[in-house]
Amino acid sequence: MLDFNTITTAIDQYLHSIMPAQAAIVTECILVALCAVLAYVAFAIVMIFMERKVCAAFQCRLGPMRVGPWGLLQVFADVFKMLIKEIISIDRSDKVLYNLAPYLVVMSSVLTFSCLPFADGLQVLDFNIGVFFIMAASSFGVLGILLAGWSSNNKYSMIGAVRSGAQMISYELSIGLCILVIVVLSGTMQISELVEAQRDGWFIFKGHIPAFIAFIIYLIAGNAETNRAPFDLPEAESELTAGFHTEYSGMHFGFFYVAEFMNLFIVAGIASTLFFGGWAPLHIAGFDMFNDIMNYIPGSIWFLGKTFFVIWLLMWVRWTFPRMRIDQVVSLEWKYLLPIGLVNLLIMTICVVMGWTF
Amino acid sequence: MEFNKTYIGRVLCTIKSLLTGLKTTLKEFFTRKVTEQYPENRKTQKISDRHRAMLYMPLDENGNNKCIACGLCANNCPNGTITIKTKMVTDEETGKSKKVLDEYIYDLGCCMYCQICVNVCPKDAIAFNNHFENAVFDRKKLIIKLNK
Amino acid sequence: MSPEFIELEILRPRMEELHRNGMDFLRDIIGMDWGEEGLGAIYALENSSTHENIQIAVRCTDREKPQIPSVCDLWSVAEFYEREVYDFFGIVFTGHPDMRRLYLRNDWIGYPLRKDYDESEAINPIRMESEVPEDLQRQSEIEEDAARELFVKQTNKIFGDQYIINIGPQHPATHGVLRFRLALDGEEIRKIDVHCGYIHRGIEKLSEKLTYPQILAFTDRLDYLSAHQNRHALCMCIEKAIGLDITDRTQYIRTIMDELQRIDSHLLFLSCAAMDLGAITTFIYGFRDREKILDIFEEVTGGRLIQNYNIIGGVQADITPDFANKVKEYCKYQKEKIKEYNDVFTYNTITRKRMIGVGKISREDAISYGCTGGTGRAAGWACDVRKRHPYALYDKVDFKEILYTNGDCYDRYLVRLDEIMESIHIIEQLIDNIPDGDYKVKTKPIIRIPEGRYSASVEGSRGEFGVFIESHGDKSPYRIKFRPMGLPLVAAMHKILKGAKVADLIAIGATLDYVIPDIDR
Repeated sequence: MLDFNTITTAIDQYLHSIMPAQAAIVTECILVALCAVLAYVAFAIVMIFMERKVCAAFQCRLGPMRVGPWGLLQVFADVFKMLIKEIISIDRSDKVLYNLAPYLVVMSSVLTFSCLPFADGLQVLDFNIGVFFIMAASSFGVLGILLAGWSSNNKYSMIGAVRSGAQMISYELSIGLCILVIVVLSGTMQISELVEAQRDGWFIFKGHIPAFIAFIIYLIAGNAETNRAPFDLPEAESELTAGFHTEYSGMHFGFFYVAEFMNLFIVAGIASTLFFGGWAPLHIAGFDMFNDIMNYIPGSIWFLGKTFFVIWLLMWVRWTFPRMRIDQVVSLEWKYLLPIGLVNLLIMTICVVMGWTF
Repeated sequence: MEFNKTYIGRVLCTIKSLLTGLKTTLKEFFTRKVTEQYPENRKTQKISDRHRAMLYMPLDENGNNKCIACGLCANNCPNGTITIKTKMVTDEETGKSKKVLDEYIYDLGCCMYCQICVNVCPKDAIAFNNHFENAVFDRKKLIIKLNK
Repeated sequence: MSPEFIELEILRPRMEELHRNGMDFLRDIIGMDWGEEGLGAIYALENSSTHENIQIAVRCTDREKPQIPSVCDLWSVAEFYEREVYDFFGIVFTGHPDMRRLYLRNDWIGYPLRKDYDESEAINPIRMESEVPEDLQRQSEIEEDAARELFVKQTNKIFGDQYIINIGPQHPATHGVLRFRLALDGEEIRKIDVHCGYIHRGIEKLSEKLTYPQILAFTDRLDYLSAHQNRHALCMCIEKAIGLDITDRTQYIRTIMDELQRIDSHLLFLSCAAMDLGAITTFIYGFRDREKILDIFEEVTGGRLIQNYNIIGGVQADITPDFANKVKEYCKYQKEKIKEYNDVFTYNTITRKRMIGVGKISREDAISYGCTGGTGRAAGWACDVRKRHPYALYDKVDFKEILYTNGDCYDRYLVRLDEIMESIHIIEQLIDNIPDGDYKVKTKPIIRIPEGRYSASVEGSRGEFGVFIESHGDKSPYRIKFRPMGLPLVAAMHKILKGAKVADLIAIGATLDYVIPDIDR
């Protein structure tokens, strides 16, 4: 199997051989950052295209067909359009916060993005409390949304932002509990170790019922976290026109748009890491032939395949359900998901203590 | 207490209804799509013969229109869409002078397709056709002379 | 039916007596300008249980300061109807709590539907600046804060110092250019103020100068989703007035087309309700199926939205030979697709949670506000004109009036869903039995209605659509009034919205199913 560790080590050694250690580290940082941001944009483009086509298919439509064959160039046309659009400054808005907000949102999602294990060794950030870091990094995106709503000097934006705050802070809890279930099962918080532990069987099989419940709750909460239907109240286009980003135009809007899609990718990526073994191939104990064949498929394909499957699941949900009301969203979390999540954590702990896991 | 009123019952009923919805959309995911790809399907596309897109003057076998320049259509049009210019022509055989149509001017931009002009025309000299691709960049191009 | 003229002094006691005696449905208030004889109003009343009709007319000779006592404490809907009359005729209704203009700007000079109104543009030029709401009093108290930002302290006559937010005129959920001003407390709505008139085209005024066939073209543009029924009402009224008998074939065609139009409208309702609640996929499904009706319309009438089909004495063109087959095919298709809507939207828990118990209106309120159509029937009021005063073929076909009892959003939604099935049922009874005959009867080239007052009403897609014509024997009407289906619904908004949230406003607006050009005319 292709091991990215060898490649990265080779590059590291090469850089060290031609320049002093400090400069080598700076160069590496820049290279890594560049790659991460490029990958981020590339995935965003794929995601936007996928969303359009998948949504169209659910709705008996063809989706974009005009720009390029099957509308393949549609997203590029849109990006170009957004780039040449004027960034409007809003009268009596808080200029600094107004301009800062989209960057905060993008920053939070890039940081989280860099924690995803794309393949063995192909991971930007990997340390012993990786899961914890993901939680922290992803949760400051809400700050950007709150600021955007507050600084826009628009009442729709304000309502959208406050809704978003209430919603995201609630659903962080459920996400935390679901991740905790997996941490209890695996006994580690480091992402590479989490994946390593799933080489012989994914956690969704190892943890059986509690892991499955955790997976479902994680999907619901993750959907809420990314502000997608049925939890898209912060935007709620039929109520608040566009919610917190009503007043944003041009690339500032583009940042929100891209971050929204990438948050979906991140939620799906984390789900596939925690429950479906990240880049670990599908192994069934006892079927060595089958396992060998599976090993030939590169890890990055496994990871992306799983991630896009989860994304497709979330899109399926999004394009099926109506939007909820804010009090229903909050009561779903506090009356249903949180208690069920807590009980589920208890069950998982009992399972692990009694050794009832595979 | 009924089962679907209890906590667990409510959760299960909810999940069931949501799954039904998901099943329906999944079925649509794999059915044939209904999008009509408009300019590409021009050849196969069928517009009803009765569709009102533009006024025209049907010609008889000699290539003449049937208009007698009576002006009923112009008078009945609620929007003043039609202007009729007439000229006097002297009939060579009888020597009587007669009012005939000179220009029949139709402003497509003002027309609301109420069909009153067609209904009042005593000679069926005007009718609507279904040539619907009438978008132009200049309003002036919408003012059309109907008689050739 | 001619109205009963009564003296201005006994209007209140007479109205109170009528209201006590069961005349609980105020169908319309028609403002009138009788020139020398003064201004006045005609009240069309109906008994909601016996369906007995009565029209009361009142005159007020003072043209300078006309005053008529208000009846909005007896019939809540009068609040909006009287504002409309005030707006167009300048009649002040004494005792009305909120005598503002309903459609026109506050700075409009004159009352347009008066016969002596001066239309010249010098008096009412096109105003380029936006309107300052009447209730907003700018105070000179301007505070300058540290950031050099100006905050104008405003006090508001209607809302006080509550947090006000505008929904509309350009807003995805108002389905057109309607504007609500809401006072919010968090997400909860405290008060609502409706502003109409953003697309008022003055159709009633325009009609006074046009001939009857020309007026017909306007009806399609009132409630464009009941285009066919609207036109049916006006044709019926004129045919009644000139004593024209139309053929059976025409009656069949008109009834079938009315019902197809109703299905069309209800499908659009269902789609838009789904979209307002965020279920965009259901919206597309609804539109996909509505397309099939539009194709049938286009084939037969030549128009998809503006169909232009009914004319005085018949219909514009005969049905096409394969019309019956296409309609039958469509009916079969649609019955299957209803199940799909149910699976994906109607029985979905989120939909039910969003709609059940939200935006309730009681039967009494529905009658008092004159909320006909789906809204009234969801509240348990049997208000279907097709049953109350059968016209066309509705007394010959078998169909049941869909009634629900809760009057909430979900019931309003279900009424429409069931009515689609009921309309299909009606069509299936008629489609195979269309008799041979002429599709139109010849009329005189110039239609003059004999002097008198005529009215007719039909069941539009969202309530009772009525036409009132006062003719002085000319080829154009002296006064024509269309009863809007949407205005009573909008008038009832503030009652329905008690304790609702912003998201509920959208659900309520979607299920009330008003169409703005019908409100604004």
